[in-house]
Amino acid sequence: MGQRYAGIDIGSRTIELVVVDETDAIIESQERDTGFDPMAEAKGMIEKVSFDRIMATGYGRNLFEISFDAMTVTEIKAHARGARALFPDIQAIIDIGGQDSKAIALFDNGRVKKFEMNDRCAAGTGKFLEIMARTLGFSIEDFGPEALLAENSLNISSMCTVFAESEVTSLIAKGENRREIALGLHASVIRRAAGMINRVSTDGEIAFTGGVANNPCMATLLSEKLGRPIRVPEHPQRIGALGAALLAREAD
Amino acid sequence: MQITPLLNDGYAGEPAKRVLNYVQDHRQAGDPVVGIYCGYAPIELIQAMGIVPAVLCAFSKVPIAAAETVLPANLCPLIKSSYGFIIEGTCPFYAMSQAVIAETTCDGKKKMFELIADIKPTHVMDLPQVPDEAEARSNWKQMIVKLQGFLETHFDRQADEEKIEASLQAANRKNALMRRIFDYAARVPSVLHWKEMYDLSFLAIAATGQEMVPLLEPLPDILEQRVREGFHVGPPKAPRVLVTGCPVGGDATKIFNTIEVAGGVVVAPDACTGMKAFMGEFAENSGDPIGAMAERYLKIPCACMTPNERRLTDLSAMIGHFKPDAVIDFVLQACHAYNVESFKIGRHVEEVHGLPFLKIETDYSDADTEQLRTRIEALFESI
Repeated sequence: MGQRYAGIDIGSRTIELVVVDETDAIIESQERDTGFDPMAEAKGMIEKVSFDRIMATGYGRNLFEISFDAMTVTEIKAHARGARALFPDIQAIIDIGGQDSKAIALFDNGRVKKFEMNDRCAAGTGKFLEIMARTLGFSIEDFGPEALLAENSLNISSMCTVFAESEVTSLIAKGENRREIALGLHASVIRRAAGMINRVSTDGEIAFTGGVANNPCMATLLSEKLGRPIRVPEHPQRIGALGAALLAREAD
Repeated sequence: MQITPLLNDGYAGEPAKRVLNYVQDHRQAGDPVVGIYCGYAPIELIQAMGIVPAVLCAFSKVPIAAAETVLPANLCPLIKSSYGFIIEGTCPFYAMSQAVIAETTCDGKKKMFELIADIKPTHVMDLPQVPDEAEARSNWKQMIVKLQGFLETHFDRQADEEKIEASLQAANRKNALMRRIFDYAARVPSVLHWKEMYDLSFLAIAATGQEMVPLLEPLPDILEQRVREGFHVGPPKAPRVLVTGCPVGGDATKIFNTIEVAGGVVVAPDACTGMKAFMGEFAENSGDPIGAMAERYLKIPCACMTPNERRLTDLSAMIGHFKPDAVIDFVLQACHAYNVESFKIGRHVEEVHGLPFLKIETDYSDADTEQLRTRIEALFESI
């Protein structure tokens, strides 16, 4: 059997593990919640798979490097590598995860050209959508599909999770349609994401990664807003781990 | 490797304590002390009058909570810290100062100065902000003359033209020596650590040219020895970083520490607290030393100036000299001038120099250290 390369993405909300073989084909993948002890979770995950080399990314990468003698790479480079592997023509990536979001522009050769991150608060991230879905009484899975059924979009002006929640509460109190509120919330996140993308990259295909890309309303609105082709991978939250696994092979 | 420290005085890594010791010594010898906040304070005039300029505390997060009882929270941390130090009475330099010199640089500072003006005599200099206007030089010269009058009244110290000229000439020698020392960071790899540049810069702002020159003169030999012995700062292939933007000191040095943790080397700290204070020359024997001073001070490329094209030309010269692999623009939260200007800096660095650029917007807290590390590591990955 040939060499196997693992990538582990230790994020704020979930940990993903991907193992590739020498031909870059994915032979294993796992996912679980980060919880309060990310190293214990990570250990539990890597014990179940076999690999020859591992590269860690995500906010927990430096702790993992010390605990497991692994190589590390930033989530920016990992996402760039992973997304390019799936979509060779993309010029940029928008990644919206549980607690941060980032826009990455690529050179033609796939290297990172420029990036922007929003990582100081939950505004415009998965956490924001999760709290808003709960306030409106939707499950996180139904939030996007329900928003897409709205006929109008209500304008939500607050981007701060705390302020937006009170804005939503007052819209509910006014008797506004909750699907329309939901669509307005999605649109407010997209305005911010589009701004980030436009600051780093102005044309070409974009990959949409991170857990929030599972929300169909987000991809639809992003494509409408930017007028650029948006590519969403089958498992958007695994792109960082995939990129790390591919970089582990390339480092060999 | 055992290396010879540049200043072997027991204050290594504690520039504020070294300067405090310097100011205390002078005060005991009977010299008056005046507090300053900014790179536009004409220290050569102050020193010519036999007065010690003490840079006031502005770089700790500790007094910010106290400051926010009066100041808005979304104000720049440097202004909040400065004000907090004063109302809490924790800045020893302020305690030793009999008066404070302030300048109309940014709105936040101007308004903060109003709030401290009743505690100690505070002299505000009206800084022209369109420095290339024909009147700017004569206006700023007038402000320096007025400052001289203020200092004469409050401290009963005088300086004639001859003394001011001598002070300028000594400052030229001091600044040239400082630049010669910084040249050792321009070497590839660098043999001068940013902490050493900081140690020297902090002292060299307070101390006169006459005092600094003998202290600085032996240092190039020590640095030459490092070159001969093959010493270098950081790994030989470490990414070289030029840090531009807002002043850096105290808690804000997290930016330099994080660059090192991410594997980089700071080769050019370009800010009022770094190399900016030692750039340029005063015209000597012009017959108008205060005019020469006005001329040189208006060339400081602070973001409060408009249009601040000089920042781009100076930055290009620094990039050419210090050969960085990346440029980081350090912006303190709510510092609108540097924050807005950052767009032009980024475009200039990327398009003219083809270097990776990263803008970091932060405050004095440690809350974002890991996020900063990720961004800086990603910047290094893109080199």
